[in-house]
Amino acid sequence: MASTWQNVLSNVKRERLLSISNIVIMSVTFMLLGVLVYVVALSQTALRYLERQAQVTVFFEDTFSEQDILNMRNNLMKDLRVLDVKYVSKADAFKLFTEINKDEPILLESISEDILPASLEIKTVEVADLKALADEISSVEGVEEVRFFENVVAKFIFWSNLIYIVGTVLVVLFLLISYSVVMVTLRTTINSKGIELEIMKLVGASDTYVKRPLIFMGVLFGFVSAVVAGSFSVILGFVMSRMPVFSSGISLFFLHQISLTPVVFSFVLFSVLLFSGILLGYLGSYTAVRRYLKY
Amino acid sequence: MPQIEFKEVTKEYEPGFKALDDVSFSVASGEYLFIVGASGAGKSTVVRLLVREEQPSAGEIWFDDENILMFEGTQISDLRRSIGVVFQDFKLLESKNVFENVAIALEVVNASDFEIRNIVPNVLSMVSLSDKMFKYPRQLSGGEKQKLSIARALAHEPDVLVADEPTGMIDPDSADEILEILDKINSLGTTIIMATHNAEVVDKMKKRVIRLDRGQIVSDKKGGKYRG
Repeated sequence: MASTWQNVLSNVKRERLLSISNIVIMSVTFMLLGVLVYVVALSQTALRYLERQAQVTVFFEDTFSEQDILNMRNNLMKDLRVLDVKYVSKADAFKLFTEINKDEPILLESISEDILPASLEIKTVEVADLKALADEISSVEGVEEVRFFENVVAKFIFWSNLIYIVGTVLVVLFLLISYSVVMVTLRTTINSKGIELEIMKLVGASDTYVKRPLIFMGVLFGFVSAVVAGSFSVILGFVMSRMPVFSSGISLFFLHQISLTPVVFSFVLFSVLLFSGILLGYLGSYTAVRRYLKY
Repeated sequence: MPQIEFKEVTKEYEPGFKALDDVSFSVASGEYLFIVGASGAGKSTVVRLLVREEQPSAGEIWFDDENILMFEGTQISDLRRSIGVVFQDFKLLESKNVFENVAIALEVVNASDFEIRNIVPNVLSMVSLSDKMFKYPRQLSGGEKQKLSIARALAHEPDVLVADEPTGMIDPDSADEILEILDKINSLGTTIIMATHNAEVVDKMKKRVIRLDRGQIVSDKKGGKYRG
């Protein structure tokens, strides 16, 4: 094993330029893959953030007592679709109104605390549940009005799904492209050694003797490239962790409920790139060298 | 018992074109054999079949009482260690020096560094290349390249040395040197099979000659000459 690594390293040294260009090509490929993963994850994070801002606001008639509203709030909190329910009392509503209209003294003089209705602001886990919830609540006695921006939410759901699907397709597509790039790169290197491999076979080299250094080389190139690309992703993670906009974390693709801090996310990405790099290095060199092992 | 035996071997590269047609012959251990014929007669095909670079379309090839057509993976590697091959185009590794070109034949059989350091200078001295040990193939003459190719073939002390047109790309003086080396190797007990169309070389050696014409054996004579 040790002598195989020595052999690989001396080959890499001997063909320094070819080795460096291979590693550069593979690093750039993995880096682009990492950036694309970031873009999709960040767009998902942004969408999740916007999704959480969407809400149903329920205004109540004056006959509906504060206790009734709080009971309704408690019942809603038990609903699995509901993420959060905030009670805005008549006093809170007046305070808010006063603050918003502090430059309009005439308007403020004509409004008293009794005029503004109490309300509940309901946020759901999935934005798609807002409509159903709004329909259910509007039929409750004592509810004066249910305000819910249906068109905005519908557009939001559409774009959210589109970005998610396009992003996922792009990541999968780029994974395939990365695989092809790694395969072609390793194949070019191995084919350049074609005569050497044939001679080795003719002087009695076993398959393992021919195959092992090349597979080790593929794994080494994959490893080094992935470390370069992964380090870039970790640096990006540290930079993002200083930005307040990412303080609530980055969403994981398929697991909407899980968010990771940018640094943790970057280390997860680093591990994924490292695993992919080693695997692609192995598969690329193995398939390329196979043609020289046929008798 | 023959060391090598071709039994009714036919090799068809494409339908209707037979490089070898129902060829049978045997070679005893320690024998010196020339296979002669014009270009395309089938000489190189015999060499390629013998080291399992190719498979025949029909027939059997036996080496040391084993049918080599049944060999797989490691057995083929072992066969190629028992049969050293010298190629007309030398097949040397340009990126390795003389020492390394010979050492590779030992490295592939996992010889230790100690063995390599001992064996390589010995075989290089057999072919008079001791003083060129650290030169690269591009710094050698045609004759020296062929000697290096012979040294590499001898590195793991093969039972048989097969040379495919070894004098084809070198000058007459170098060709004489190569013949001397091969004769010396043969006198040490190694079987030599040389495919050639160099009449002068064949006539000089007065060894067994198998003559091929369009894939068929047309004569097989001991102490023969190129023209029969």
